[in-house]
Amino acid sequence: MNQETPKVKSSLMQNARIFYLVPLVAALIPFFANDYLQFMVNMIMVYVLVTVGFNLVIGNLGQLAFANTAFFGIGAYMTAILMNYAGFTFEIALVGAAISGGLAGLLASITALRGIRLYYLAIITLAFGELMRWVYIHAESVTRGTDGLPLPDVTVFGMSMHSETAKFYVFLVITVLVVKGTSNLLKSRVGRAILAIRDNELTTASLGISTANYIILTFVWSGSVVGVAGAMFAASTERVFPESFGLTEVIVHFAMVMVGGAGSLIGSIIGGVVLTALPEYFRQFPGMEELFFGVIIIAVLLFLPKGLVSLLAKVSPLFRERYYRE
Amino acid sequence: MKMRSKYGLPLGVFAAIGLMAGAAIADDTTGLTDTTIKVGVMGPFSGNASSYSKAQIGEMAYYKMINDQGGVHGRKFELIQEDTACQPAKGIAAAKKLVSQDKVFMMHGNSCSGVAMAVKDIVVESGTPWIVAHAVNPNISMPPTPNVFHGVPAGPAYGFTMGKFVMSKPGTKNVVMVEHSNDWAKSYADPTRDYMKSKGVEPSMVLAMERGQTDATAQVLKIRQAKPDFIVASLYEAETVIFLKDLKKYGVTDIPVMGAAGTDLENTLARIGDIDTVKNYYVPHAFIDTVDGPGMKTWNDMILKYYPGETITGFSYVSIGSAVAVVQALKNAGPDLTREKFLAEMDKIKNFDTGIFATNITWAADDRHGVKESAVAGFVDGKPTVMKGWNQPM
Amino acid sequence: MLMQLTVSGFAQGAIYALIALSLTVVFRATTVVNFGHGDFVLGGAFGVYVLVVMLGLPFLPSAIAAIILMFACGILISRGFIDPIKAGPHIGFAMMSISLGYIFRGTTRSIWGREVLPMPRVFDIPPVFIGDVVITGDAMIISGIVALLLVGFFIVFYKTSIGKVIQAVYQSERGATLIGINVRRFHDMMWGAGLAMGAVAGILIAPISLLHPDLGAGFLIRGFAAMTLGGFGSLGGAVAGGLILGITEQYAGAYINTALIDITSYLVIIVVLVVRPSGLFGKRAVVRV
Repeated sequence: MNQETPKVKSSLMQNARIFYLVPLVAALIPFFANDYLQFMVNMIMVYVLVTVGFNLVIGNLGQLAFANTAFFGIGAYMTAILMNYAGFTFEIALVGAAISGGLAGLLASITALRGIRLYYLAIITLAFGELMRWVYIHAESVTRGTDGLPLPDVTVFGMSMHSETAKFYVFLVITVLVVKGTSNLLKSRVGRAILAIRDNELTTASLGISTANYIILTFVWSGSVVGVAGAMFAASTERVFPESFGLTEVIVHFAMVMVGGAGSLIGSIIGGVVLTALPEYFRQFPGMEELFFGVIIIAVLLFLPKGLVSLLAKVSPLFRERYYRE
Repeated sequence: MKMRSKYGLPLGVFAAIGLMAGAAIADDTTGLTDTTIKVGVMGPFSGNASSYSKAQIGEMAYYKMINDQGGVHGRKFELIQEDTACQPAKGIAAAKKLVSQDKVFMMHGNSCSGVAMAVKDIVVESGTPWIVAHAVNPNISMPPTPNVFHGVPAGPAYGFTMGKFVMSKPGTKNVVMVEHSNDWAKSYADPTRDYMKSKGVEPSMVLAMERGQTDATAQVLKIRQAKPDFIVASLYEAETVIFLKDLKKYGVTDIPVMGAAGTDLENTLARIGDIDTVKNYYVPHAFIDTVDGPGMKTWNDMILKYYPGETITGFSYVSIGSAVAVVQALKNAGPDLTREKFLAEMDKIKNFDTGIFATNITWAADDRHGVKESAVAGFVDGKPTVMKGWNQPM
Repeated sequence: MLMQLTVSGFAQGAIYALIALSLTVVFRATTVVNFGHGDFVLGGAFGVYVLVVMLGLPFLPSAIAAIILMFACGILISRGFIDPIKAGPHIGFAMMSISLGYIFRGTTRSIWGREVLPMPRVFDIPPVFIGDVVITGDAMIISGIVALLLVGFFIVFYKTSIGKVIQAVYQSERGATLIGINVRRFHDMMWGAGLAMGAVAGILIAPISLLHPDLGAGFLIRGFAAMTLGGFGSLGGAVAGGLILGITEQYAGAYINTALIDITSYLVIIVVLVVRPSGLFGKRAVVRV
């Protein structure tokens, strides 16, 4: 006889499927938003991916590797270069950006593997980012230096991506796919291994887990994700400049991770949304932005160290991800 | 029988919504009411280029003055200030906000060429009249589009001015160039190089000096070895001071230095405090008089009236000339103002004396570089003086 | 040209040495790397500017006042912002220090944002000429003051009883606590000392370059590069690293390409951490799993 376990009806707030509603609702945005708001929403998606990628390395793996702007810039420039010189369309250039980001991640992981940790890792990855920026500026024949490298007509699968609305739908699809993929990664053995490495590398290794492979995997995935974000950034601004990838950008990325919640995928999304939208509001008060960033980070660090997502975690178990350290 | 698609109604609804969204752009009197004209002023009010926003300050002071005089045909200017922080992504957000949300009648501003190039397509597509009042990249207004005007000397004009002055010194053959590797410096250095090349002179050395460097020893020592006839230094304010001081420090005091439009003589002297160090320094000077000269007094008073406490430098005047021309064009367009009429009147501006630029403004539908030339200022007997050429005060 | 470059590089390097040393002092005492230090170095300079130019006080008292002020800031930061998050991950410290530096920068920008500020000339000592080589008054003053500071610092460190306390805590915090040293107050003092030393660096460099809010970033990177070269955590190494970095920058700029001056720090960091992570004098920097 079939003994079926009684199906427990989970309440709406407890069913993780509710997250699928978000992109569906979001798909209605273009009907209500003007061009400017649409542009901002597109930027938010770019930075959501940036934060997701960065959080993997900083939050989940626990390594202070600040190579994020390097991945971001490499993704953006690779997209622009492939579209300009190889005539690729966006969907193919996107793949190129992901691959180059992944390779950069691989490069960055080498330092971590060689045992460089903490502040050394932070500093060398920062140096790497700045070095890349110097390359963008001085490799003028390829990157057009500080004039910026414009993108030719951006098309995807033959359709023009010039309008903000078109960009929105393309970005939405990309974002959903990447976030879902990362979510799957984190829920799998890989995700658990990453967390174990963060909490105690030596013990994890002694359990026979090949920490090196997981470290490399995390960096490569992170690099690819942020490379894709870079491609989206390039498509959004339609012109790639070196100044967009400097030291201040690192701080912005960092803030997004911390404010959202380090180690939490949902936190990444929250951080990306909040810290792209709010500063835009503050743009009205020039000079306030640095104060705003500084104050909000300090406030979070002192009073809400697990990030904004911890507030939501109190409300619903949906937000208490297993891989998010309590 | 007509085949009715079951998608007809939903598609129709979506199409209607889409049309409504798009319709907002086509209106010709966007940004106008009977009593106001909305003007979007974009500039780097924050960030490391914020000293440029003095240009926007000067221009806004002028518009405010016109408001106090009653406006134009009963309409007063409503200035909407947007900060770009000299970053393209922020600039795009600012431009889109002005076009799609604030729905301004026209835009007048922009100091950073990078930002201007990044937003150019957006502005052109929207049909919003755009007067570029500080950024010098000539490609912003070239090839000409229906709605973009350059209200300051663009790169080629400065290159012509700087190069001409350098070549006007008899016997100039060996020229060394020092510059930042950013687009601001290149927009002065590249046209100057082009001009000199056209006269048969190639720079013997091009040296980099980056923003934030506090020492120019390596550059100066190399210059000392090369013994050039002239130095072209496309540097920002702080770096200019450091460079000139280091020239003096290492005894390189007889070589004239041609600066870019990044600083003015009065403030450079004030920062260095020693006339001996700056006596060989020349800068392009686009205005009728030097900062402390009598010709500028009314302008200085105007700026200080609306922005008390503002330190006036060469940047403060840059955008005022184009504002004067804009107001004239608005007056000429009459009380039934539309964008078309305004643009048509702008193209009719010929040889217009703005009362602040040393050269008059001329715009045409096929040439939107309104200011073709600039003068040069240098120290003559210790006083900043406007000059026609080497050793030739006006 | 070589001698001149060396002299100039030495003077620049002295500033970097001071910045690196102040960073190391805080690091050794608290294991926190102050990512906002560049902006605090400026703090001393801006403090002097306010006192001298806006309040009209004479230079030397203003400088001393600014240094004391930054010392107090250091204590405040240690007590109010670093101590509460002691138990958290290291990322937290990095972020906290960056944010504090950011707030500092934002404040200076809100007040002086559009202006580039000239610092008053302090000492007008004529340059000394040795053959072809110019040694400017500034170079002499900077090198002299930094040398004095360093000598004083090392005397205190190795010869006085306070120095013994510092060494004790450096070597073992727990042990120090066991013998009755107030480690918390020690941390506060070291933060204060670090910021004060940084302020001195800022005050020395400010009359040469003009003051603007973005000057801090460059200082930070140079400081890091010097620390990395000399070996993280080594006091003597920080000084050596700073001097070598200053001279290397000049050589690279003059003999290879002036465009390299800006990225010399980054190249140094990458090369050192790849080839010999412990730097010249540092302890083991790698974690082998």
